[in-house]
Amino acid sequence: MSVAATRRQSLWSKAAWKLRRDRFGMLGLAVVLAHFVAAVGVWLGLWATGWGDVAGGKWDSVSSEHWFGTNLIGQDIFQRSIYSISTAFEIGLIVAVLSTLLGAVLGAMAGFFSGRATDEFVVWLMGVLDSIPFYLLVAAIAFALEGNPWSMHVAMISTFWITTARLVRGEVIKLKGLEFVEAAHAIGVPEYTIIFRHILPNTFHILLVQSTITFVAAIKSEVILSFLGLGVKDGMSWGLMISESTFEVLAGFFNNFLAASVLMFGLVMAFSIFSDALQDALDPRQVS
Amino acid sequence: MSAEPILSVRDLVVEFRTEHGVVRAVDRVSFDVFPNETVGLVGESGCGKTVTGLAILGLIPSPPGRIASGSIRLAGRELVGLPESELRQLRGRDMAMVFQEPMTALNPVFTVGNQMMDILRRYKGLSRSQARAAAIELLAKVGIPAPAQRIDEYPHQLSGGMRQRVVIAMALSCDPKLIVADEPTTALDVTTQAQVLEQIVRLQQEFRMAMVLVTHDLGVVAETCQRALVMYCGRVAEQADIGPLFAHPRHPYTAGLLRSLPRVGEAEKQDLAVIPGMVPDLLDLPAGCRFAERCPRRDARCDGELPDLDGDAASPARVACFHPL
Amino acid sequence: MTPLLEVRNLKKHFPVRGGLLRRIVAQVRAVDGVSFTLEVGKTLGLVGESGCGKSTLGRAILQLQRPTSGEVLLQGTELTTLDRKRLHAMRRSMQIIFQDPYASLSPRRTVAQTIREPLEVHGIGTPAEREQRVEELLGVVGMRTAVLDRYPHEFSGGQRQRIGIARALALDPKLIVADEPVSALDVSVRAQVLNLIARLQREMGIAFLFISHDLSVVEHVSDQVGVMYLGRIVELAPARELYRQPRHPYTEALLSAVPVPDPTRKARRIVLGGDVPSPMNPPPGCPFHLRCPKVMDICRSVPPPVVEVGAGGASHQVACHLHA
Repeated sequence: MSVAATRRQSLWSKAAWKLRRDRFGMLGLAVVLAHFVAAVGVWLGLWATGWGDVAGGKWDSVSSEHWFGTNLIGQDIFQRSIYSISTAFEIGLIVAVLSTLLGAVLGAMAGFFSGRATDEFVVWLMGVLDSIPFYLLVAAIAFALEGNPWSMHVAMISTFWITTARLVRGEVIKLKGLEFVEAAHAIGVPEYTIIFRHILPNTFHILLVQSTITFVAAIKSEVILSFLGLGVKDGMSWGLMISESTFEVLAGFFNNFLAASVLMFGLVMAFSIFSDALQDALDPRQVS
Repeated sequence: MSAEPILSVRDLVVEFRTEHGVVRAVDRVSFDVFPNETVGLVGESGCGKTVTGLAILGLIPSPPGRIASGSIRLAGRELVGLPESELRQLRGRDMAMVFQEPMTALNPVFTVGNQMMDILRRYKGLSRSQARAAAIELLAKVGIPAPAQRIDEYPHQLSGGMRQRVVIAMALSCDPKLIVADEPTTALDVTTQAQVLEQIVRLQQEFRMAMVLVTHDLGVVAETCQRALVMYCGRVAEQADIGPLFAHPRHPYTAGLLRSLPRVGEAEKQDLAVIPGMVPDLLDLPAGCRFAERCPRRDARCDGELPDLDGDAASPARVACFHPL
Repeated sequence: MTPLLEVRNLKKHFPVRGGLLRRIVAQVRAVDGVSFTLEVGKTLGLVGESGCGKSTLGRAILQLQRPTSGEVLLQGTELTTLDRKRLHAMRRSMQIIFQDPYASLSPRRTVAQTIREPLEVHGIGTPAEREQRVEELLGVVGMRTAVLDRYPHEFSGGQRQRIGIARALALDPKLIVADEPVSALDVSVRAQVLNLIARLQREMGIAFLFISHDLSVVEHVSDQVGVMYLGRIVELAPARELYRQPRHPYTEALLSAVPVPDPTRKARRIVLGGDVPSPMNPPPGCPFHLRCPKVMDICRSVPPPVVEVGAGGASHQVACHLHA
């Protein structure tokens, strides 16, 4: 978003001003940032490096050595749940960025060429993908990619772009009737330059909000998919921890389950609150 | 003109809070409106004319806006500080507003008749059939052909001019003492505007109402108002009867405005007289006269001191200028 | 001398689709057979009420909306049949200025980017030369070069309109279609922009097609004025003559409807009944006959011919049975 970054006193700074006044939104952002710092630490190998090591006995309870206790085979639950934050961010970021990009490009082209073949194809594609049950699609893609670790990402991206594309398409249909687009036509600017230089930058507020919503959706889906065995293959995630905990819970050991669900709940909740605040701040009816 | 004004505004100040600071959109505006009189509030965008109109009806969005000080009396009754519930009663019965865009005043999912009958039954206590008859009569009064059929149509089925007539009929439905019309014909075409303006003038005389007409169009003012206030940057620059105002404007701003208008029938292809520069930012107003930096008669005093209207509220003509024409 | 612009029987119809199969159920005849010529460096004013087709006409001439039929000749080149590449080249000669200064500039592009774009698109000059040209253009429209890196929202309506004019001037056009260029501006700023347009015309010899609903503005800027009603020009005459001696009953009514900022002049107003009919199904005969105060039997069935009523050399055309 280089265009956004170069603006000095702009719609964005107005939105930032509104966002800063939203106390819940800022609290949400703080929680998200705390999670993000944890994730970066994992990526840099600063902590949670021993998430796979067997460091204690079966189901050790909370102690100064194992803050959240240990699991069935004696691995440290605290380290595993912190490591899972990085997994969540990795999936959330990849899926959010790629599906937003895909949605932006396809939605913008559909909107710009609305009523023409490009538009009809994109709308048809959205309809088809939307009509397949999500988990069936994931299973199908996982099967097709033969256990490829990216099959979950591919499945999420191939469905999550649709909402973004729909919103962008609507906005672009509105924008392309405005006079500055007509001015570009009158000058003789090529059509694709008009789309990407003049129209898409004006949908950034939608893309920003959509990418935060997609981020949350991706994290939640990962947990469910991993729980079902369709998700994370190697590595650790909250979904896998909860999946591990199913029989532990029956035996009265809750540490694994609580650690994963509380952290996930915290991140998802905080991100949703932040996303709402962002949406309020960027709402063009209130901003302009 | 009877002695008692219907509407009496004194030292009205309206402020809006923005992220960059407090904006004083209306700054110590005073005027009276007498029965059977139309007073124009005229000026360019941002001069405070619309905000003044909204303030009279208690329609300033709050927050961010508020009436900071001053008084607004309708038939002797103070409106500033009244609770919203009482203002709402007054808005239905004693005063009404006509907006620029008639579609915003009409509910698209109800028929014209439904909306009018609703008001008539609520404020006048008419029965269903009485209200319908009264609504048809009102529609006929504002010049809608075949009102008995039109009453069952939805707003989108009517043309812009017809819609504005419906809005006017609704405003008239409870015989208000005062109507505030905010750019009532700006969204209309020239020929439609002529129809609606003529109707407004006729109805105003017939109902002997007091009217405040907010507009940017000096032509509209000349043809419909008896008196006008020229506003600039939230303040009244000049106030006078229409005749002298157009014949001998005393404030340099009024004079400049009148000279910068191209007029039909004076086609000499030469440059228009121009008021140089721009309206100052309300957040960054000059210390002295707000028109000073665009004014040909400016001197040191204008830069340091803010001129107030001369005379008192009863004076027929007032001007806020140290060096009036 | 060939005229700069010649428009012959230009039509622009928009299909209205309806029903399950999205078949064409009707045609909106936005522009329905318009002809005129515009000389180099002159201004033709087009007046009319909303929906009369004046804006569509401007866009059809510029090929922003391809006409349904008819011819548009710019400097002798027929535009309606040009392929993309040659049309692209012709765009250097014709530009447009818009009504809404808040919608006509790309909100996320700086002033410099906006004014430079036409030069880039047509590959004019080196980057350094373009910079220089942008600064020069800003000077022409009366703005300082300090604003180059600012965004449109930092400007007032009048300043934005100047930026839009600078963009239109960048390619040195011979023709500018000005679509309600001052309607959204305040009175004091409007005079500034009108004077700017007049100066550009004098100094650069640009011809303007000046579209407006405001008769006083059109009279002020135009050499010739065309009055449009329901997609047709009903009267076309030199500006002064049209305003002094309107021949078409619609022109008369339109002129009398303008509020005059002079309380001593009580208008002898011709108030028209009814509204403009829908261009989807215009009435037979004369398009104005439903509202015309001087309607005759023939008007209801026979479309009026365009007749020349001018005296003393100047062309004054009117499409009305009264003068046929």
